[in-house]
Amino acid sequence: MTEELKGHILIVDDEEALRTAVRRILELEGYKVDAAQNGTEGIAFGSAHEYDLALIDLKMPDINGLDVLKEIRKKHPNTVCYMATAYASYETAVEATKLGADGYILKPFSPDELLNSLNSGFEKRRWLLEAERLRKEREESLLEVAFERTRLKTIINSITDGVLVINKKGELAYFNQASLTLLDITYLPLGIPIIEHLPVEIGQMIVEKFFDIEKQTIAFSIEVSIKPENQLYIEATLSPISENDKSLAGVVVVLKNITEFKKLELLKSQFVSMVAHELKAPIAASIGFIDIMRQPGISITPEQKIDFLNRSHQRLQSLLFMINDLLDISRMELNKVTREIREVVVEETLSEVVNLFKVDIDKKQLSIGMPEEAGKHVIRIDQNEFMRIITNLVSNGIKYNRDKGSLTLQVKQDAYYTTVVIKDAGIGLKPAEKERLFSEFFRAKNEHTKNIHGTGLGLSIVKRIIEAYSGKITCESTYGEGTQFTLSFPIVYRLE
Amino acid sequence: MDHKRTILIVDDDPDILSTLEILLVANGYKVFSADNSKTALEIYQREQPDAVATDLMMEEMDSGFMLNYHIKKTAHGRSIPVIMMTAAAHVTGYKFDAYTSDEKEWLKCDALLNKPISVDMLIAKIDSFYEAKK
Repeated sequence: MTEELKGHILIVDDEEALRTAVRRILELEGYKVDAAQNGTEGIAFGSAHEYDLALIDLKMPDINGLDVLKEIRKKHPNTVCYMATAYASYETAVEATKLGADGYILKPFSPDELLNSLNSGFEKRRWLLEAERLRKEREESLLEVAFERTRLKTIINSITDGVLVINKKGELAYFNQASLTLLDITYLPLGIPIIEHLPVEIGQMIVEKFFDIEKQTIAFSIEVSIKPENQLYIEATLSPISENDKSLAGVVVVLKNITEFKKLELLKSQFVSMVAHELKAPIAASIGFIDIMRQPGISITPEQKIDFLNRSHQRLQSLLFMINDLLDISRMELNKVTREIREVVVEETLSEVVNLFKVDIDKKQLSIGMPEEAGKHVIRIDQNEFMRIITNLVSNGIKYNRDKGSLTLQVKQDAYYTTVVIKDAGIGLKPAEKERLFSEFFRAKNEHTKNIHGTGLGLSIVKRIIEAYSGKITCESTYGEGTQFTLSFPIVYRLE
Repeated sequence: MDHKRTILIVDDDPDILSTLEILLVANGYKVFSADNSKTALEIYQREQPDAVATDLMMEEMDSGFMLNYHIKKTAHGRSIPVIMMTAAAHVTGYKFDAYTSDEKEWLKCDALLNKPISVDMLIAKIDSFYEAKK
C-alpha cells in the first residue's frame, strides 16, 4: 500500500478492549485512527469529519450500529462503512447492505482478517472518490460549456455589427439582433432560405463566390445601400466556414454600418469640389487676362494692359493665400499644430494689429475705438494664433466697413471668460449669410462686396483656432448697419 | 447671318466676366453681361440673346442650373444654345457632362464647358448648335 493511501479510520465500539486492540493493529500499519465508545459519539465523529473508512459495531447500548451508519452516510456518502458483528446472519447482512454498509466483519477477528477486509474497503473508497471526482469534473465542464454558450450568445448579440450564419443549403442558421436592424428587416425565422431575403447584391455574391465554388477560402466584402440617400449604408463581409476537408460548411456574413463613413465621404467630395472650384477661379481669371494680351487681333490700351496685369497679379496672390490657408486647415485637422502657450496681454495685441492696418484705416477715414484700460487683461494663448484671429477680424472689420465708418474693440472679463468684442459699422450681413459665415469658402456676395478679395477661409480658421482653446465666437449682424464679433476665452485657473 | 450674334454671359467673378467679354467682342459678338442669375434673367427677357453662357456656382451651388431652367422654359430659350461653365466638373464624383442626349436632357443645357474655358471652344459650341438646326 502506498503512503498516501494510508487512511483515516473511525472505530465505533462499546468494548474498550477491542477498541484498544484494533487501534494498535491499525496504527502499526500506519493508519490514523479515531475511536468512539458508543453510537452517539460515533455519529458525532463520523459527521464532523469525513473518514476514509468506519468500522462500526452493530450492537451498542445506546444506538444501533445501523443507525450510526445511516447518520454518517447522510453526511459523508463516500465514507466506506464496515459493520462488525458477533451475530452474523443473512438477514443482518442484507439489512446492513441495504442501508449502505460496504461489508461486515465477523467478531472475533484476527489482525489479518481485519487488514484484509480493510484493504478491500480502501479499494472501494478509492473507487468512490475517483467516481466522485469524475462526476464533479463532468458537472463542472458541462456548466462551463453552458456558460460559454450563453456568454458567446450574449457577446454576439451585444455587438453592433450584424452577424448571420448561413449553412451550405442557403438556410439561416444563426443571426443576431443587429443584423435585423442593419438589413431593415423586422423578423427572420431560423431555417428559412435566407438568400432571397438578403439584399440582391449580397445574395448574388454568396451564390457566386461560395455556393458555386466548392472550396472557397477567401472572404469578400461589398457595400450596399439599404435605405436611399445615405440613410443606411452597410458593408457586408462574407467569409466561408470550412469543414475539415476544406469543403464549404456555410457562410458567415458580418454587416457593418458605414452610413457615417459614407456621409463623410460625400462631405469630402463636396469639399474637394469646392476647393477645386475656388482654386480654379483665380487661374481662369488670370488666363483670361493673359489670353487677351497675347492675341494680336485684340487691341488694348497701355492703361488696360497695366490694369490686367495688376488684376492677374492680385488674383494669383490671393490664390497663394488660399493655398496657405488650406494647408493651415489641414494641419489643424491633423492636430499637427505646435502651440507655444503663454500669457498674452489682450490690449497690447489689439493695438499692435490696429497699427498694422493704419494705411487702410486712414484711406477709409474710419474712427477707431480702443479699449479704455490698457494692459489689464491677460489670456493664455499662442501669441501668433491670437494675432491671426485679431488680424483676421480687424481686417474684415475694415474691408467690410463703409467710408467714415467706425470700428470698436473692447475687452471684458467675468468670472469665467475673457471676452473680446470687435464691432464695425459696416455693410452687415443678411440672416442667410450669417448662418453660413463660418463655413469654408463662404463669402458674403452682394453689391457691396464685389471688389473685396478674400479666400473665404479666414473665419473658418478663426473659429477652429478659438475652439482649440475651448473658446467660442459668435456673430451679431444687421444688414446695412454693421457686424459684431464676440470672442470668449475661458479663464484657466491654475491649481496652486 | 445678317446681324451680329448676341450672347449673355453670366459669372459672379468680375475678372472672368470682363475677360470673356473682351474676347467675345473680339470675335464679333455683341455681349451682355451679368454677375448674378437674377440680373441675368432680366437681361435675357429684355434682350432675347442668341446664346447664353453661364457659370454654375454663383450665389448658390446651383444658381446656373436654375437660370438655365428658367431660360429653357421659354420658347426662345429652347431655340438658343445655353452653355454651362464650371470649375467643378469631374471632381464631384458625379458624371458631369452633356455629350449624349440623355445627359443634355438631365442637365437641360446644350453644353458644359470646364473652366478655365477656351473662347474658341465656346464659339465652336454655339456654331455647331446653329449648324445642327439648319
